[in-house]
Amino acid sequence: MAERGLRAQRTSPESVATPASRTSATALREFLSGFLRVLRANPLTFVGFVLVLIISFVALLVVLVPVVTQLFLGHAVLLTPYDPNALTTDYGQPPSGSHFFGTDNLGGDVFSRILTALPLDLAIGFGITGFALLVGGGLGLVAGYWDKPGTLGGVVSVFILRVTDVFLAFPSLVLALAIAASLGRGTGPSMLAVLLTWWPYYVRLTRGEVLAVKNQPYIMAARAAGLSEVRILVRHVLRNLLEPLLVYYTLDIGTVLVTFSTISFVGIGVPQSIPEWGGMVESYGRFLLTLPWTVLSAGGAIFVTVLAFSLFGDGLRDILDPRSRRALVLASVPSTMMAKAATAAEA
Amino acid sequence: MPDPLLDIQGLSIDYEVGAGVFHAITDVSLQLTSGRVLGIVGETGSGKSTLGHAIPRLLPEPPARIRSGRILFRGIDILQLPRWKLPHLRGTGIGMIFQEPINSLNPAYRIFDQVAEAVSVRKLREAGMAPTLFPVVEPHDYSRSKPVNTGSALLHAVSPRLPGRGSGIMREALKAEVLDYLKLVRINDPETILDLYPHELSGGMRQRIMIAMALSAKPSLLIADEPTSALDVTIQAQVLTLMKELMDEVQTSILFVSHDLGVIAEMADEVGVLYAGHLVEFGPVEEVYRNPRHPYTKLLLRSVPNRYKTDGPLPALSGSVPSLAKVPPGCPFHPRCPLARETCTKDPGPVLQRAQGAATATHSAACYFSEEVATIA
Repeated sequence: MAERGLRAQRTSPESVATPASRTSATALREFLSGFLRVLRANPLTFVGFVLVLIISFVALLVVLVPVVTQLFLGHAVLLTPYDPNALTTDYGQPPSGSHFFGTDNLGGDVFSRILTALPLDLAIGFGITGFALLVGGGLGLVAGYWDKPGTLGGVVSVFILRVTDVFLAFPSLVLALAIAASLGRGTGPSMLAVLLTWWPYYVRLTRGEVLAVKNQPYIMAARAAGLSEVRILVRHVLRNLLEPLLVYYTLDIGTVLVTFSTISFVGIGVPQSIPEWGGMVESYGRFLLTLPWTVLSAGGAIFVTVLAFSLFGDGLRDILDPRSRRALVLASVPSTMMAKAATAAEA
Repeated sequence: MPDPLLDIQGLSIDYEVGAGVFHAITDVSLQLTSGRVLGIVGETGSGKSTLGHAIPRLLPEPPARIRSGRILFRGIDILQLPRWKLPHLRGTGIGMIFQEPINSLNPAYRIFDQVAEAVSVRKLREAGMAPTLFPVVEPHDYSRSKPVNTGSALLHAVSPRLPGRGSGIMREALKAEVLDYLKLVRINDPETILDLYPHELSGGMRQRIMIAMALSAKPSLLIADEPTSALDVTIQAQVLTLMKELMDEVQTSILFVSHDLGVIAEMADEVGVLYAGHLVEFGPVEEVYRNPRHPYTKLLLRSVPNRYKTDGPLPALSGSVPSLAKVPPGCPFHPRCPLARETCTKDPGPVLQRAQGAATATHSAACYFSEEVATIA
């Protein structure tokens, strides 16, 4: 009885009154209210979620404001307080009201440089992991699901896995550095370098998850129900991979940023004229004792972004998994409300 | 005699694994007439689940390998079908209920989505929009389920959108039918159940959902592979009662696999006794239980705990089931058989034939001395 009571309490009044006429609007509202409850039940998820929202919003503004002002005012207005690449005599200033994070050795405003670098760094993080998820995930799905030896699928599977092994044989950072060094300095070549080293991990991860899921009794049950193999793969296997993959993806965005920063840090990544966090850590590194605010601000930007996506990724798993979602919802409902709902259901 | 719905002829299945070759099923032949319930009983490792999974070709091959035999289902040899045609046979042709209700439902989907998927598989086939081996006929009386508006379901079945919470019209079209099947398996408050996830239901409820899903495809043959062995005794009784009632209502043909002699006696019309992959006795349940014609069946029945017996140890079969990698030559039961003689140890062993002294012609046993079985104390 208690469970039914809770259920009635959880769903919106409309859907309880007329369960037959569940529309997508009520379903959406229901999802959102559950979502909010999860956020409230887990404050760290909430922090991560808010940070990700703020970061994404600011990045969008940094990109859009100059474009929109160019269109409507005829000249681009920067969102940043100063020109990020300006050389001024105002160098080496500690943080103050006019320079939030101080100025660097060339007189550039550190806050403006960090803000300008935000969209580029996010694009790097999402682009590389997104590509790795699509390519690596797709290959891993095929390699994991059709892996019976002696069949065409088995041959393809072995081929995919051996190619993956070749890439995994090198430490990813070393391989990325080698590729980046041979391609030359620049944003594009360094992204390509990380891209090429990143997907094999997704192949391994996806394949492992597929192997675990495809031997579950419910896959056999789906087969016995007469579903085709492709439909089983897409609807039953892929759906159960979504949670681990998405969580790994969001956590991975931070790792990619750090790796990319490392490439910039050793001096073969993004040229110094383009603000990029890793490159800034590299170029400001030698001023750690004299102008500490420069390198600490750049490092802090990486830290906060990585942390935000990690917290967000952790929370995402709780939201996506029906089991933990329900547990969280129950945890977030005050016990007095639970008792009230239970008595209401008994009556 | 009409053509049997299912006709298994000389089926032999091996498992080829690193440790050797295991003969899971050896030369099994049996028939299932339409509308009847055939029970398969045997100990753990006797090959009964292998037999159940082999019929819709659900065995993983390899390691399993079907060495010889034919499985004729409605006149088509399932073993000759190409692999890509097998899904067309399953579901509406041969349905299946599994042993583990706990894990047989996809944890990521609500109950509605899972039952609706089974219903829509059948609907697409009925409408000729999905390939099937047999035209979906309705040989059975599903009188409890009202006809639904197939037209609107079809309109939306062509769109690749899958039945889900979001796709409203599809959901409405299938909902009535899904609810009917949930009511058919006696689920209280099916409206609420629709939106629950499998982990929110008990084992007995999940097995009911599995039964509803299997029945909603309206299979001509339903294979129940120990549907109650993972449930505790009270739930077992409920599910068995339910299945028994459903048999009367739905009139489908069932292959019921179990290790439980009592369950088989309750459910089945005919029974086949498996020992070490050999079918040792086959016949009408009444006849086999009253008048067993194979020593193994006799000893098995004797070892069932008897509530009238109050003292002394329970009679048990001496020895243990032979390893399927080393099945004894001749009759597989001879090392444990009180009637065993010299001839029993020689290949080829006894074949299944009409039992001597049996009351009906369909009662057969694989024993040279079946008329002496009654003399075993």
